[in-house]
Amino acid sequence: MNWAKKILLSLLMVLILIQFIQPARNKSSELSSTDIKKTFSIPENVQLVLQISCYDCHSNNTNYPWYSKIQPFGWLLAKHIKNGKAELNFNEFSSYSLRRQISKLTGIGNSVKDGTMPLTSYILIHKNARLSNEDKALLIGWAMSTKDSLSAN
Amino acid sequence: MKTFLSIAFLFVSIGFVACSNNNSSQESSATNSETTPEAANTDNADAQKSAGTINDVVSHYLSLKNALTNDNASEAASAAKEIGESLAKVDESSLAPDQKKMYADIKDDIKEHAEHIGANGSDIEHQREHFDLLSKDMIDLVNVTGSSLTLYKDFCPMYNNKKGASWLSETKEIKNPYYGKGMSKCGIVKEEIKAKG
Repeated sequence: MNWAKKILLSLLMVLILIQFIQPARNKSSELSSTDIKKTFSIPENVQLVLQISCYDCHSNNTNYPWYSKIQPFGWLLAKHIKNGKAELNFNEFSSYSLRRQISKLTGIGNSVKDGTMPLTSYILIHKNARLSNEDKALLIGWAMSTKDSLSAN
Repeated sequence: MKTFLSIAFLFVSIGFVACSNNNSSQESSATNSETTPEAANTDNADAQKSAGTINDVVSHYLSLKNALTNDNASEAASAAKEIGESLAKVDESSLAPDQKKMYADIKDDIKEHAEHIGANGSDIEHQREHFDLLSKDMIDLVNVTGSSLTLYKDFCPMYNNKKGASWLSETKEIKNPYYGKGMSKCGIVKEEIKAKG
C-alpha cells in the first residue's frame, strides 16, 4: 500500500467514525407556555411564513432534512440552530421583557427588510423558505404593527 | 481499485466542503460571541475592585454616536465593544433598589445591541438600526440614573420611514448619527438632561 492510499483510507475511517457522534436533536412536541402565540394573536398566513422560513432555527422544533443524520452536516445544523435560538426563540418569546420583545420585533422587521434573514446559506438549500416580496411585506407589516401596539402600552 | 479511489475521493471532497463550511460558521459565531471572553475578563477586573459606573457606559455610547456621525463603521464597532466591556464592569451595588430592576431589564438589551454593532463593522446601516434601539435604552437609563455630563436628547424626524429616532449627545449642536455627513444637521434638541451631582 502506498502512502496516498493509506491517507485516503484513514480519512474514510474518520468519516465513518464521526457518524457515531450524533448531536442532540431540537425537537419538542408540546407547546411551550411562553410561546409567542400565548401573548399575541398571529394571523394564520403570518404563522405559516414563520413556520416555513424561520422556525427551523428560531423555535424548539426543527424540521430536519435527511442529511442532518450525516456528519459533519448535522453538527453544522446543530450549531446554526443553537445560535439562532439564542438570538430569538418564538417558543420563548413571551418570557422576554417588554423591552426585549419590542427590540426583537424591530429586529425581525429590519433583518427581513435588509435580507439578512433567512440566511442565504439556508435558502440555498431550503428553496421553499425563500421569502417572496409579498411574504416579506407580510412579515414586516406584522412585526411593525405588533411592535407599535407594544410601544403604545 | 478505480472505484475505491473514486469513492475515497468523493468522501474527501465532502470532507473538504464540510470543513470549510464549518470554519466559516465558527468564524461568524466567534464574532457573535466576541464579547463573551471579554466579559469574563472584566468580571475578573470587577473582582479586583475596578468597578465602573453607568457614566462610563454613557461615554462609550457617545463615542459610538460620534463615530456614526462621521460615517465611520469600524470606529463605531470598537466603541460598541467598549460599551459591552464597560457595561460588565458597572458596580450595581451603587444603584437604588428601584433602579436595579430597571437596570437589569435594560442591561441585556444594551448588551445585545452593542454586540450587533460591534460585529457589523462593515455595515453601517445595520449598525444604525441597532443604534436606534440602543439609544432608546440609553435615554431610559439616564432618565432614571442621571448623568454626570449634561446631555441633549435629540430627535431626527426622518429616520425609520419618517417615524423618527432619538439619540443622546453631549453637544447642543445637532450632528445626526443616523444619516451621518450626508444630512448632518437634520434633527432638533428635544430635551436637556442636566448633569447631576
